[in-house]
Amino acid sequence: MRAYSLYLFRRLIQFVLVVFIGMNIAFAVTHSTPIDPVEQTISAATSFGSTSPDAIAKMRQSLRELYGLQGGPWQQYAAFWRRVVVGDFGPSLSAFPTPVSELISRALPWTAGLLTVSTLLSWTIGNLLGGLAGYYRESSLLRFAGILTMGLHPIPYYIVAFVLLIVFGFVWPVLPISGGSEMNLAQGFDVAFVGSVLVHSILPVASLVLVGLGGWFMGMRSLVSNIVSEDYVLYAELAGVDRRRILTSYVMRNALVPQVTGLAMSLGGIFNGAIITEQVFGYPGIGSLLVGAVHAGDYSLVLGVTAVSIVAVSAAVLLIDLLYPLLDPRVKVR
Amino acid sequence: MRLLRSIAIIATAWLLAAPAFAQGTISNLPRNQTLIVENPEGTIKNAGWFNIWAINAGGQSTGLHQLAMDTLWYIDPERGIDGVWENSLAAEKPQYNADFTEMTVKLRKGIYWSDGVEFSADDVVYTVETHLKTNGLRWSAPIQVNVAGVSAPDSSTVVFMLKKPNSRFHALFTVRWNAMWIMPKHVFEKAGDPLKFPFNPPVSLGAYTLHSFDPNGGWFIWQLRDDWQRTTVAKFGTPGPKYVAYIDPGPPDKRVIAQLNHQLDIIHDTSPEGMFTLAKQAKLSHGWFKGFPFAHPDPTLAAVIFNDELPLFKNRDVRWALALLIDMKQVSMASYRGAATISAIGVPPTGTYPDYYHVPLESWLENFELDTGKRKIKPYDPTVGKQIADMLRPSMGDQIPTDPAEIAKAFGRGWWRPDPQAAQELLEKAGFKKSGNQWMTPDGKPFTVRIAVEGEARPVMTRAGTMIAQEWRQFGIDASTVVAQGTLNDRRASGDFDAMISWSVETWGGHPDLSFFLDSWHSQFVAPPGQPQSARNWQRWSNPELDKIIEQTRKIDFDDPKGVELGKDYLKLVVQEMPTIPLMAYNVFTVMDETYWTGYPSAETAPYTDPVPNWGNTRYMMVKLKPRQ
Repeated sequence: MRAYSLYLFRRLIQFVLVVFIGMNIAFAVTHSTPIDPVEQTISAATSFGSTSPDAIAKMRQSLRELYGLQGGPWQQYAAFWRRVVVGDFGPSLSAFPTPVSELISRALPWTAGLLTVSTLLSWTIGNLLGGLAGYYRESSLLRFAGILTMGLHPIPYYIVAFVLLIVFGFVWPVLPISGGSEMNLAQGFDVAFVGSVLVHSILPVASLVLVGLGGWFMGMRSLVSNIVSEDYVLYAELAGVDRRRILTSYVMRNALVPQVTGLAMSLGGIFNGAIITEQVFGYPGIGSLLVGAVHAGDYSLVLGVTAVSIVAVSAAVLLIDLLYPLLDPRVKVR
Repeated sequence: MRLLRSIAIIATAWLLAAPAFAQGTISNLPRNQTLIVENPEGTIKNAGWFNIWAINAGGQSTGLHQLAMDTLWYIDPERGIDGVWENSLAAEKPQYNADFTEMTVKLRKGIYWSDGVEFSADDVVYTVETHLKTNGLRWSAPIQVNVAGVSAPDSSTVVFMLKKPNSRFHALFTVRWNAMWIMPKHVFEKAGDPLKFPFNPPVSLGAYTLHSFDPNGGWFIWQLRDDWQRTTVAKFGTPGPKYVAYIDPGPPDKRVIAQLNHQLDIIHDTSPEGMFTLAKQAKLSHGWFKGFPFAHPDPTLAAVIFNDELPLFKNRDVRWALALLIDMKQVSMASYRGAATISAIGVPPTGTYPDYYHVPLESWLENFELDTGKRKIKPYDPTVGKQIADMLRPSMGDQIPTDPAEIAKAFGRGWWRPDPQAAQELLEKAGFKKSGNQWMTPDGKPFTVRIAVEGEARPVMTRAGTMIAQEWRQFGIDASTVVAQGTLNDRRASGDFDAMISWSVETWGGHPDLSFFLDSWHSQFVAPPGQPQSARNWQRWSNPELDKIIEQTRKIDFDDPKGVELGKDYLKLVVQEMPTIPLMAYNVFTVMDETYWTGYPSAETAPYTDPVPNWGNTRYMMVKLKPRQ
């Protein structure tokens, strides 16, 4: 138990260090971007209307004061950490004065919902099919499934997304191709809204599952292919243990360990958003928020989204590291 | 097995019923009473924010400024319903004193906010005073720079005292896309800090009021007010649509699909290819022109903008040489697939401008002579627009007009004849030399030009830049494009470019006064190298003759006919000096579907306004639209 406590402590230190380094890199990158949020705002505000140059000069000065961009880099760095430690990323510069946390909390449930469902679906189907294909290698149906999933896997995601969009949005228009739910429907946990959200998520989820399936399938099939030649599997077969039991209890259970690691990493990555999916299907979420923030030079918002992502991925890795010694007795705590 | 069979039956039934389900994109609203419009702002991050006076906080063209806002005057970028000038909240045109230091406005009576409070001079005074005492509102700076004080002698008169003479001060309250909107005093005076007040739900002065919106910013639905007769558009008739939805339909391909499925009545803009697809496949969809080139030429002039502060481009012979290396027909084909409306002079060929400027200057252009150092040439070719039409006719057939007047309207008139020999002579005159296949600058360095373009953010302009770079390269100039996607605004402001495809000329469209952009071209506003340059003189060009023209324009009334003559002087000057190379109007492929609505604006039969739906001026479209019977 003492060894585990030490291990826990070391991993926690590592976690804090990773988050600290990640946040610093994010700060450095966002603050070295050539995009100036004030110039973006001025351009948006004056690109159509008639505003005299002397008024624009005054506007530039007012906005710098309003956005708190007056200080030097070190002052801004100190202010950034002061806010981060209390979980406040300040106001968004491109949606001033709305707090970054409010924008993120509005977008995050959509991304998290979409990516959790699609990740779990592709993981489950991919592993199931991969496990079966690795064990029942003589099955022509499973061989066909393998060709199909592996054939889809290398196709660029946006091609698959656009094909689905054209097929089900135009050629045979049976599914909605835009938005997270029907227009003019109040958001709430009622049948109409939840049903609409489910229908609107079919194409985005399908596109992610179709492309994501192949990776899990191939990983699981090769793991199972190795395990079936292990001594304990051979003995079980010679001892007349039921093949289905061998597959589930002897083969797939052991093969699942690295796949669970992959799943945890993927679930952590959910908070990165699915930028292309959100753009193609007009789906609300954190990916679109991030792209908009980058274009607007809104460092507060970029830092907020990045921070959520850094913490989520690091926490997922930490969780796996902490759970491994408990779940798999072969993993020893030094 | 039974479970599988049940799933199969449910899935089949759903798929059969789904087409109707997928088509009905708006829940609980009658489609035949609802106009669905693309909002080019996309998804609004901060959807619940309707305080349009707080800079950049929420959306603008979500219907907010088209349907819910109002101000003193409107100028139509096309012909207008009742002329281009419209007294909106004002009862008459602005009255200035002799030295343009005071502006008096008489207001219309009987106009009401959507919450039943009557609009009055107090609202105008409150709006101005709030901007005077608050830094950081959208119009704080122009108000603080110009206004010394404002008063309301009675409930329908407002007097502005100006800090310095300004004959164009009313432009701040005159809608050309947008203008300074009037605030409801009775709402904002109770709201505290105007920078932090979301104004949700908005109290409207326009004919529509907010019905509902997506908290994630994907759509906004507006409903016709019951008392729409008490708003300023009422004098033009009954607005047709009871509901107007402004939506983010996604990338261009999806907009085309949505309109083919009749789920999007007005596409704000799509690619030329998307437009051609709709023209072929959707019988009831059309653009501004019924046939080719379909697109609406916005009163914005796309051009090659040089950084004239760079030593390389200080010499006008160099700028002219580069202009004579461009084959405009190729640029038109590469950028808009031929659907461009070209202009050789420094104003866009749209709205009333061809009548005011292009046609009257045609003979001057034909006789214009350029000295190459070895000879004099007449570079203007009046047939370039016709040549583009002739190039397209074999593939587009009777979509291409044959009447010369129609061709000029759709494709523009003449442009500069490509003349590499003259370009060579001009470069040699400027001290450039050719070494092998490479042109060298007078100080012996390779002649290098990088043209900044915006990549996929503005593909049409990127294609134009690529074609121009190719033409210069073929001549021996080290020219190429650099993609400044997302950074062009910054590079433009800081002068970090050799040349770029952008625009520094935007006009009223309907009214011939050029001060909208030209005033900012005065040398007093040209920033030194490295300092931020304010809109719109991105080329950082200064010229004493131009300063004189601008100063004379400042001294005359907005409607003074001398303004057009001064405008022509400006145009002749920029032809001689070529500070930028004008290319074409910024054509917008706005596509309108007549499945549910008729009465859209069009070049041929109904040029009453610009159809591009993010313009505040498009509120006039609502009174012309009628449900298809």
